[in-house]
Amino acid sequence: MLQVENLSKSYGTFRALSGVTFSAQAGEVYGLLGPNGAGKTTLLRILATLLRPDSGTARVAGYDTQRQGEAVRRSVGVVNGGMGLYDRLSGREILRYFAGLYGMTPVQADVRIAELNGSLGLEGTLDTRAGSFSTGMKQKIVIARAVIHDPPVLILDEAASGLDVLARRALLDFVLDYRAAGRLVVYSTHVMSEVEEVCDRAAVLDRGELIAQGTVAELLAQTGQSSLERAFFSMLQGRAERLKEAGLEVTGLEVTR
Amino acid sequence: MSWRLRWSFVWQVARKELLSTVRDRRALLSSILLPLLLIPLFTVGLPLLLTQALSGQGQERQKVGIIGTLPAALRARLTSDSATDVGVLLVPVSDPVKAVQDGSVQAVLKVTEPLPIRAGQRAATVQLYARLGNLKAESGVIGKVRGVLDAYNSALVAADLKRRGVPADFLTPVRVQTIDASRPQEAASGQLAFLVPMFLLQFILAGSMATAIDSTAGEKERGTLEVLLVSPIRRAEVVVGKLLATSAAALTSAGFGLIGLLISGLVSALLLRGGAGKVADRLNSGGLNSGGLGGQLSVTPGGLAALVLMALSAALLLSALLIAVSIFARSYKEAQTYITPITLLILLPAVALQFSDFIGRGPALYAVPVINAMVVILDIVKGVLDTPMALLAVAVNLIFTGLLVLLAVRSFGREQVIFRN
Repeated sequence: MLQVENLSKSYGTFRALSGVTFSAQAGEVYGLLGPNGAGKTTLLRILATLLRPDSGTARVAGYDTQRQGEAVRRSVGVVNGGMGLYDRLSGREILRYFAGLYGMTPVQADVRIAELNGSLGLEGTLDTRAGSFSTGMKQKIVIARAVIHDPPVLILDEAASGLDVLARRALLDFVLDYRAAGRLVVYSTHVMSEVEEVCDRAAVLDRGELIAQGTVAELLAQTGQSSLERAFFSMLQGRAERLKEAGLEVTGLEVTR
Repeated sequence: MSWRLRWSFVWQVARKELLSTVRDRRALLSSILLPLLLIPLFTVGLPLLLTQALSGQGQERQKVGIIGTLPAALRARLTSDSATDVGVLLVPVSDPVKAVQDGSVQAVLKVTEPLPIRAGQRAATVQLYARLGNLKAESGVIGKVRGVLDAYNSALVAADLKRRGVPADFLTPVRVQTIDASRPQEAASGQLAFLVPMFLLQFILAGSMATAIDSTAGEKERGTLEVLLVSPIRRAEVVVGKLLATSAAALTSAGFGLIGLLISGLVSALLLRGGAGKVADRLNSGGLNSGGLGGQLSVTPGGLAALVLMALSAALLLSALLIAVSIFARSYKEAQTYITPITLLILLPAVALQFSDFIGRGPALYAVPVINAMVVILDIVKGVLDTPMALLAVAVNLIFTGLLVLLAVRSFGREQVIFRN
């Protein structure tokens, strides 16, 4: 469902991604772990065709992100942490708008909205303008918007940041349900407990490089730690030390020779 | 990047932007309320107030300082009321400049030598102190005092000519009669015709601004642009959809500007009814009418069609310009900063239109985007529309619109622009 091979991307002299390779299957939640600036958002934006890689390839649902962008976009839904909505439109109008952009007829859109109302509990959001939404209401519409076309791949980028306990719980439940429906969920976060709870496998990114991947148990085994948080620290610390031993200067996010 | 447009997608974007604009109170204010209020205010309200203020000067008894002695006949002429004006009040002063500057009098007459009481006596000079360049003084006390002095001179000369048995028109063997040979529309449009293109272009800009910024920098600031671009819609469809919505908002604003002009015509007709036969003429001439200080505006149905076409091309061009510029901004506020110079682009040429009679008309002028729209609208208002030049202007505006759309589509596809923040 998702194949990433040797993906690299730089912004000027800053190397955001360097030779990242991994793959993920339908019916799993694949986590992307990493500190801020590790390259998670850049990677996800490449998968969503918003950015072009400098080198390497990425295939989403069998489509090449660079050559078959439109087909890729039809196959993915994206939730980013921003929760951006059109304040002067109601939840239903927003969902109908995006359904239209995915080529759905008004009837198909209304059927799908009714389905999502059942699974996400959209009451109170559908006929109210988004400008007056609470964070929880916004989150529901943002998720519904991302899956209005029932995409085989759902990308969540720091989607739980800023959510209260209830809203976060609802999000994680939705992710598990979506996986259960045979879809692939790519879940980017820097919160270890979320990875432990929902991710079948995860990749750890640091300074643009993929430094480890596997199930939570495999990641723990690689470091000999008892919690994912400790394992994560251990991996980042170990890598920084190896870079220094190799004579490289590690400053913040950058590694210089 | 595919450039082929799927119009159902374009329409969806345009419809969503329009719905959002219609629900935006700020946009409604600038698109509907301002044109409806500002045009009548500027073309009827202010001119009426000004006219009232100017005409009221004749009925005001201004204080005029006096230094020295005036002949009794001249003094009587200055202080007595005529059929049209009331006289002035003469008060003795010592320092003419100070008296005018401190406002104790509006003018001062200083007599330094005996003034003649009969023609043929030695000519003498009387000094008139007043605030030159001050509209109230120029149109009031200066005119009134000069008028009395001219009448006094004429009366002395006429009396002398009569005494000698010479006819009164002896001093003016050739008289000049000036006849207006301009087109009726041009003659009627008067000095304020230049206001119409300025208003229409300003309202096109004001109407398009909210939609253009909200649909570009606003989307970026809210974080919805990224989500929109993740959908299968093409960049060109996004840009054209936003352009259509922005142009529609601009044209709505311009349409209400035209309605404002109609209201101006009706209001001036109502206000001036009974005292102005011209007003009836204005209303009977057909088409769009409006009145105001120094002119009335009359546009024929053909002219109105040309006006709509010109406004449409200008709306498309300005909308494309605003979208192409706003997409670079990271926020609504930043976009407003970028757009401020564009408002000057409209305002400065619009002000220069006052001197349009000195500007040579030629293809070069009609090939300048935006400005050509103002010139063509001025031509329409003055009834001197040159159809080939108007078509050239429309074509130029459409070509530039196309170029700006290309730039905007390219910008929507550039990572550095979309993720600038």
